[in-house]
Amino acid sequence: MASQVQKRPVLLQTVLVGILILWMIAAAFPFFWTLWGSFKVEGDFFSLADWTNVLTGEMTTRETGDAFTTEGYTGAWVQEEFWKAAWNSTLVCLFVVTISLTLGTLGGYALARSTYRYAFWFLLIALIFRAMPPITLVSGYLPVFFQWNIWGHLPTAIIVLVAINQPFTLWMLHSFFKNIPQDLDESAMVDGCTRFQAFRHVIIPVMWPGVITTGLFSFLLAYNDFAVTAMILDKQNQTMVPKIASFLGTTQTKGNVMFAVAAVVSTTAPLFLLIMFFQRQIVSGLTAGAVKG
Amino acid sequence: MAEIQLRNVNKRWGNFVGVDNFNLTIPDKEFLVLLGPSGCGKTTTMRMIAGLEDITDGEIAIDGKVVNSLDPKDRDVAMVFQSYALYPNMNVYENIRFPLKVRGIDPSTHDAKVRRASAMVELDDFLHRKPAELSGGQRQRVALARAIVREPNVFLMDEPLSNLDAKLRVSTRAQIKNLSHELAVTTIYVTHDQIEAMTLADRVVVMEKGIVQQVGSPTEIYDRPANMFVASFIGNPAMNLINGDIQNGTFEARDTRIPGLSAASGKTTLGFRAEDASLAAAGEGQITAPIYTLELLGDATMISVRIGQALVAVKADKTFRAEIGDPISIRVPPEICHLFSTDTGQRIDG
Repeated sequence: MASQVQKRPVLLQTVLVGILILWMIAAAFPFFWTLWGSFKVEGDFFSLADWTNVLTGEMTTRETGDAFTTEGYTGAWVQEEFWKAAWNSTLVCLFVVTISLTLGTLGGYALARSTYRYAFWFLLIALIFRAMPPITLVSGYLPVFFQWNIWGHLPTAIIVLVAINQPFTLWMLHSFFKNIPQDLDESAMVDGCTRFQAFRHVIIPVMWPGVITTGLFSFLLAYNDFAVTAMILDKQNQTMVPKIASFLGTTQTKGNVMFAVAAVVSTTAPLFLLIMFFQRQIVSGLTAGAVKG
Repeated sequence: MAEIQLRNVNKRWGNFVGVDNFNLTIPDKEFLVLLGPSGCGKTTTMRMIAGLEDITDGEIAIDGKVVNSLDPKDRDVAMVFQSYALYPNMNVYENIRFPLKVRGIDPSTHDAKVRRASAMVELDDFLHRKPAELSGGQRQRVALARAIVREPNVFLMDEPLSNLDAKLRVSTRAQIKNLSHELAVTTIYVTHDQIEAMTLADRVVVMEKGIVQQVGSPTEIYDRPANMFVASFIGNPAMNLINGDIQNGTFEARDTRIPGLSAASGKTTLGFRAEDASLAAAGEGQITAPIYTLELLGDATMISVRIGQALVAVKADKTFRAEIGDPISIRVPPEICHLFSTDTGQRIDG
């Protein structure tokens, strides 16, 4: 590979690098633009007079005496209590990931080791449920939730998100477990483990990359969800994404766009950290040596 | 200390018969080899003994105690898998120690036991490596050490050598033989390699299509195969088998006439081993045919002739040279002949 790269003509190499740089700028630009703009006032970031105002910060200086302001952030976090939404999101994500992974690893393992044919049909049905847009389920559960008086609470949203998420986690973990040779469980069982101990002491340690990857996807689903959380949670219990939407205002109420921008940045930042942190775990090849003879 | 008994053991998946009515008593300390081609049910039999496969019908008893419903962990067996099945997240030391740990054996004894087991398979220098950093032969030895560390009642080995290269296989085979002599534990060893079976076994069980074909010592199986399948499976080259007729004690087939046999008249398959036959002067042998092929083996020359559909091999001196197509005469005295019923395949002489 290395020698191939060296053989490439300089011109082609330059073009390739150029395209890559252009693509990176195009991909990263919206994020940096939003980050930059979040420290300005609305008059600058959404300036009708001159778009360069956002760079110079003309209105921001006039209104606050400085080119940068944290007004958007204090407004969102303190005045509008965005911290509550952040806390709610944390709770929702924590429980959704924990429950999904617990059920998913146990179920995925059982399905992967099952010799019965219904395991296949079970997974196929799970796939169909996964393929449905979550919003189609709303009409089914919303009236019931009202009737039972459980609408608006976090646990309700968690249950619905887990239900929507579970087919996917089952599928993903099932295929990860399939890649772990059955000899490993059997060897552990002959060595003195029960089925569960074999799962716990031998299979799960090998499974970490799969569990983390699947957990990350479950987390993202819960974290980014709008359809379910906006529908189910009342105003005090809102998570971050519906809260951002509410900042934008409705036909009746005037929103504050800059609060929304600051909240968007606050919501995105943890995702960057998270993915950067877990990147290594996902890539790590723990199974090497187990599969090969 | 374990005698293993299999009584009418059956394994079926739907209509498919994996193991058919297996009956055997394996005395304590015996090294038993289950031998047969792939899909013959030998591994299934072992897995039923280990408890990894349910028994459809019949009984398995270890030390007089029926173990049908016991989990693998409660049968006090240790198993070496074909793939070794080492725990990739643990180093060699932890791999070997694992059975002690999960069984709650006094932790203060672990170190000595692990070191003793690893010394027996010469792994002392690798204790801190992960399985991924070991060669195939080393991994195989870790699997062996993990099996012996606990000093179980029964060893089960599922084709432990089949993933090694030819040279390593010979030395590891010797090591297993030595180890089993030292440990003197009942061992069941599954293989499709008849040389492994011959060299390691106290007794061999030859299986095909889920049915036991013959049980006996390696010599018995080699010298008196019970049927045509065993005759054609054991030995390198396999036994020569010629279809023909016996009339008044004389076997006749194309290019073949062997008198002096004591067997009833009728359609018969005659067998003999390549090394038992020899070359004769022209016209004096019982088989006379042109050479089909000639192979130099180094220590001998293997000559084959064609009798009908069958290739018949005979071992000649290493200096023997001839051209393909040259006529040759082979001496097949009646003493070296094995007779089988052509219809049933069963041995018919005494």
